[in-house]
Amino acid sequence: MTKAENGLESGGPAASGPPPAVCTRLLSKSFGAVAACDAVDIDIHRGEIHGILGENGAGKSTLMKMLIGLVVPDSGSILVDGEPARITDPVAAAALGIGMVHQHFSLVEALTVWENVALGDTGRLSRPGVRTAVGELSERYGLRIDPDALVADLPVGLRQRVEILKCLRREPDILIFDEPTSVLTPEESDDLFRSLRGVVEREGRSVALVSHKLTEMLDVTDRVTIMRNGLVVDQFVTAEANAGSLARAMVGRDVRLRGAEQMTPVDTGVRAVVDGGGSPPVLEFRKVEVGESGALLELDDLNFNLMAGEILGLAGVEGNGQRVIADLLSGLRNRYGGEILVNGSVVDVGQPGKALAAGIAVIPEDRHDSGVVLEMTVAENLMLSDPAGMSSHGVIDGSGLAEMADGLIERFSIMCTGPDAPMWTLSGGNQQRVVLAREMTAEPEVLVAAQPTRGLDVGAIEYMTDQLRQAAESGVGILLISSELDEILELADRVLVIYRGQVTGEMTRSEATREKIGRLMGGDIL
Amino acid sequence: MSARTAQGRVVEVVALYAGCGLAALVISGLIVEAVGADWSTVGGALLDGSVRKPGRWGGTIGVTVPLAMVAIGTIISTKVGLVNIGQEGQLLVGAAFATFASTRIPGPGPIVLVAILLAGIVGGAIWSGLAGGLRYWRKVPEVLTTLLLVSVASNLVGYGLKKPWLLLDSEAKRGNRNLVSEQLPADTRMPRITLFGNDFAISAFLAIAVVLLIGWMLNRTLWGYRLTVVGHNRRVARRFGISESVQGMVAMLASGGFAGLAGALMLTGGDFANYRMVSGFSVSIGWVGLLVALVANNRALAVIPMAFVFASLRTGSGFLASTGIERRVTDVVQGLIVLALLLPPAIMFIRERRRALAAAGSRV
Repeated sequence: MTKAENGLESGGPAASGPPPAVCTRLLSKSFGAVAACDAVDIDIHRGEIHGILGENGAGKSTLMKMLIGLVVPDSGSILVDGEPARITDPVAAAALGIGMVHQHFSLVEALTVWENVALGDTGRLSRPGVRTAVGELSERYGLRIDPDALVADLPVGLRQRVEILKCLRREPDILIFDEPTSVLTPEESDDLFRSLRGVVEREGRSVALVSHKLTEMLDVTDRVTIMRNGLVVDQFVTAEANAGSLARAMVGRDVRLRGAEQMTPVDTGVRAVVDGGGSPPVLEFRKVEVGESGALLELDDLNFNLMAGEILGLAGVEGNGQRVIADLLSGLRNRYGGEILVNGSVVDVGQPGKALAAGIAVIPEDRHDSGVVLEMTVAENLMLSDPAGMSSHGVIDGSGLAEMADGLIERFSIMCTGPDAPMWTLSGGNQQRVVLAREMTAEPEVLVAAQPTRGLDVGAIEYMTDQLRQAAESGVGILLISSELDEILELADRVLVIYRGQVTGEMTRSEATREKIGRLMGGDIL
Repeated sequence: MSARTAQGRVVEVVALYAGCGLAALVISGLIVEAVGADWSTVGGALLDGSVRKPGRWGGTIGVTVPLAMVAIGTIISTKVGLVNIGQEGQLLVGAAFATFASTRIPGPGPIVLVAILLAGIVGGAIWSGLAGGLRYWRKVPEVLTTLLLVSVASNLVGYGLKKPWLLLDSEAKRGNRNLVSEQLPADTRMPRITLFGNDFAISAFLAIAVVLLIGWMLNRTLWGYRLTVVGHNRRVARRFGISESVQGMVAMLASGGFAGLAGALMLTGGDFANYRMVSGFSVSIGWVGLLVALVANNRALAVIPMAFVFASLRTGSGFLASTGIERRVTDVVQGLIVLALLLPPAIMFIRERRRALAAAGSRV
């Protein structure tokens, strides 16, 4: 089946021809009062890459989890090759030919590639058999890898290959990819999509690609299904769609897009030259080192400056030290070498709370890890940065707290049932707004924004981007840590590239290009 | 639709608790029959001994007080994410400190009484503080240390009861009597009052006040707030300058302090061992208090009724002797009650999972 044929009847169930590889009818799933998926109809045909695009909380993950058996639907049906299927767990899904490559890898680092691929096999383990199979598979799909390499030694891009090979070895008819490119360099992403195209066109398999990146959808997929609030709101033949139409369908209104036309925003370069007239940088790293001596250092002689009012983009493939920097500035690391200065004076960020007291606000990469307490209420999360201000003589001022929280909920448009709503009841985007609200009201000198738009929908990204710009305009120095080049290029006044704990390149926004940054991210020295 | 399911859920939960409670009663009855007694006599004796016979409320309240103290202490350590299971030892050390203070501190009765209670708190806090210190300076799991320190405590106290310069009553040494401490003089005992024919120590009011106060502090003060943050997310706590070891240490000391206070209240209250420290003084109040905290699901307000239920079983069992059956049957009953209270949430969880699976199956 060619792309044109199955693209013809976009939006409706197949009227004729072979049944779709997998389709759902009126598939629904609720968590409590929230309908994560509401009567979802979707058709994924053989030989196509089918994009599933949606806001955070739109239900795309839930939908995929139902296909793979991790979530059991409340009602509706799943048909595989036109036959009703009962998918109660991932084993059942595998038997039906559905495999998934998760966003977070499930690899054993201490084992080799072939051993990881063999995990989950039953019966006798045949080393030559598995090794040959790995070799053949990587040949067939152009996913070159050494079967005897230790997974611990592999960079993230190759680890993902192992994950994909694991999945392909089960010969699935339908492959589901959840946000696969978030950990890859642009080149690695291109490689991945080339392989996927091969899988789809040569072997007639289907790929479901879950992503929030519009460009990826446009470049890679044959058709796109767009979800919003648990509903399928639109379907496009990709060839007939553009970024604007996809974004509109996804958010339900017109949005300003980060894209080619905004690649040279008017205001960059204006703010960038806030030199401070000799005043010290708001944040300075001097020869900062983290890690065991002898072993590979997590940060290795890292030096940089951040000026007031500047947005400094820190680009790099994930796992090259970005997380350590954010952890350091959150006061989560005890030991480090070198000095960290805020406004010219040394701050011992190894002491809990010192970084915060010095005026460093952080939007962490993983808000559940160090950003919010899910079990506590919105108000309690909002008061974390200044509990003493919300109390007198150690007793929490309940009404003052509610008033403060109400104000922030209003100002930052946080969608929740009120200040007393438990944090876990909020969607990811709204949890992120709680973090932002709290960090901004602390009136920081420095704002560390680590992957601030990860997992957010287009609308929320727009909001976050505006907030960061406003903060910079009000004089806050912003360290934007991101693995998304588009984000860096859109926001940053100056770009640093980090590779294996070292800064490998620095450039102003006007000097920065995707290619240049991409090469530095991969370890090339200019 | 959702309102109906919510209502259905409530009915289901109530039915489950009732069913589990009933099952616990039936099984208890069967066990009683199996050991050759008549369940209605036994049930009657339990009720008589705990609440039904005139004046029995007093004795039950006397047992409720230390149970509630141990339980509220347990709630504090649980809040910060620590597992303190050594209350039995902390209580014993607290009681020993209290006894020692009672024989060494001169002064007017009421002041000595206060000193005795404070000594009990200090003793319990030292004992839990050992475990807390090992946890935060040497990373030794507090689950192990608190538990192991129980046997250290009971051996130490046993030793102290043999030495006149520690706890042993020197009068008792001369005679051929058991190893007991000097009896508290009348003016250092907890005053008792009589209400509706039930005679009990006024520490009951103290206990209620303490439980309410701690419940309020955990929910409404910065102290409780910080404990909760550390208990749920240590990294967030660290980021915001809340020291895990400080909060954990304070919670551990408070937890042991309340167990020690329970020991001191047992000594001064008169419902245990007649105002003396004896060997085996703690009579499992520490363990049972732990169960009280467990079934109270760490809610301070639930501590008082739950402590009363467990106390009733204990005082009721005193009347079993007349029925001629082993009083330890009540330990079995106690275990069954704990199960009856803990099973329904677990069953609900499993049923909901099964229901979802069944729904998935029936759709095909």
